[in-house]
Amino acid sequence: MSKIEEFVAEVKNLNKKVVFPEGEDERILMSVSELLKEKIATPVLLGKKERILEMSKKLGINNIEEIEIVEPENSEFFEEFINRYCEKRKNINKSVAEKIVKRPLIFGGLMVDTGKCDSMVAGAANTTANVIQAAALTVGFSEGIKTPSSFFIMVLPNGKVYFYADCAVNICPDENQLAEIGIATAINYKKLMKEIPKVAFLSFSTKGSASHPMVEKVQKAVKIAKEKNSEFDIDGEFQVDTAINEEVAKKKMKEYSSVAGRANVLIFPDLNSGNIAYKITQYLGNAQAYGPVLQGFAKPVSDLSRGAKVKDIIMTTVITCLMS
Amino acid sequence: MNEAEILEKVKEVVSEVLGVDKDKIGLEDRFVEDLGAESVQSLELVAAFEEKFGIEMDEEKALEVKTVGKAVEFIKEYIAKK
Repeated sequence: MSKIEEFVAEVKNLNKKVVFPEGEDERILMSVSELLKEKIATPVLLGKKERILEMSKKLGINNIEEIEIVEPENSEFFEEFINRYCEKRKNINKSVAEKIVKRPLIFGGLMVDTGKCDSMVAGAANTTANVIQAAALTVGFSEGIKTPSSFFIMVLPNGKVYFYADCAVNICPDENQLAEIGIATAINYKKLMKEIPKVAFLSFSTKGSASHPMVEKVQKAVKIAKEKNSEFDIDGEFQVDTAINEEVAKKKMKEYSSVAGRANVLIFPDLNSGNIAYKITQYLGNAQAYGPVLQGFAKPVSDLSRGAKVKDIIMTTVITCLMS
Repeated sequence: MNEAEILEKVKEVVSEVLGVDKDKIGLEDRFVEDLGAESVQSLELVAAFEEKFGIEMDEEKALEVKTVGKAVEFIKEYIAKK
């Protein structure tokens, strides 16, 4: 059984409730129908009920009646959510909050924040920036995290799994942000893979083999990450071959490292390298890439590509459920 | 409503949402760099302007407005259409 098949099998026992704020998107409707049929999750749709029922009929979806549809402004939670928003955002008065809370992304985020749903999956019709904004304003960040980021799950043809970060959100993270990205990705690796994460901060230098401000940034990030988290194996700076290949690590490393040659979480110094690396792994290495999965929030909120297909939405939902 | 009145109300909103002293807000001030707005607060500023002026703005275009002066111009157009 592949790791992804294991994820799907595992999620079926969890009975997680997931809110989809883009309930009037055809791909979302087809996905939630499938999620329900396959018993992967209990979906909640946001949108106009009449419109959703009409669209479902046209799409031939026959289990829409079994899915909870919520119209934010007419919801029994609307008033509660306005108060909750004002409680969280002290500078916002009730009438402004009312305008904000009726937005599906914000309403969905508040469903997660208040525990009415376990997670939110959005982005089929909204930008990543909008999804991140809604998550930051509603569920907020995990303890010690100020930077939202993302990771990819890369599954190689031989079945080996690596987590890559950040390949989609932060263009040029500073050392503090890079450290946070490393820790957040390690936490999610452990949660999803149920193995100890071995986190390698990557560079074009291995343990000081080159001197440059870009190398220093990675060295500082490693130091910060180690200070912030002693639970995981964190090390660097490494060239990627030293990080993942034991033979190379033996040759290049002058000191012992529990990560060198055995890394399973790869942290890239910026978005150039991260984005290029995941696509090269995907296209030249024939790996399957799952993501980007958003991270750093107090509760799981996932972003979809606006070109996402039904199978992408289902897989993102599976991963999001396992993170909650 | 003339431009001075719009500016006064814009300053009130910005002061309330971003928690900055109203008297220190100038026309040239940028919301993020000069007034300390976090990027996530842009949505709140747009909603607060809509509420204050009783208008509905094009969200995408509104989020492109980066300074107090540009916000005054942008809102003025919507008020004229009312």
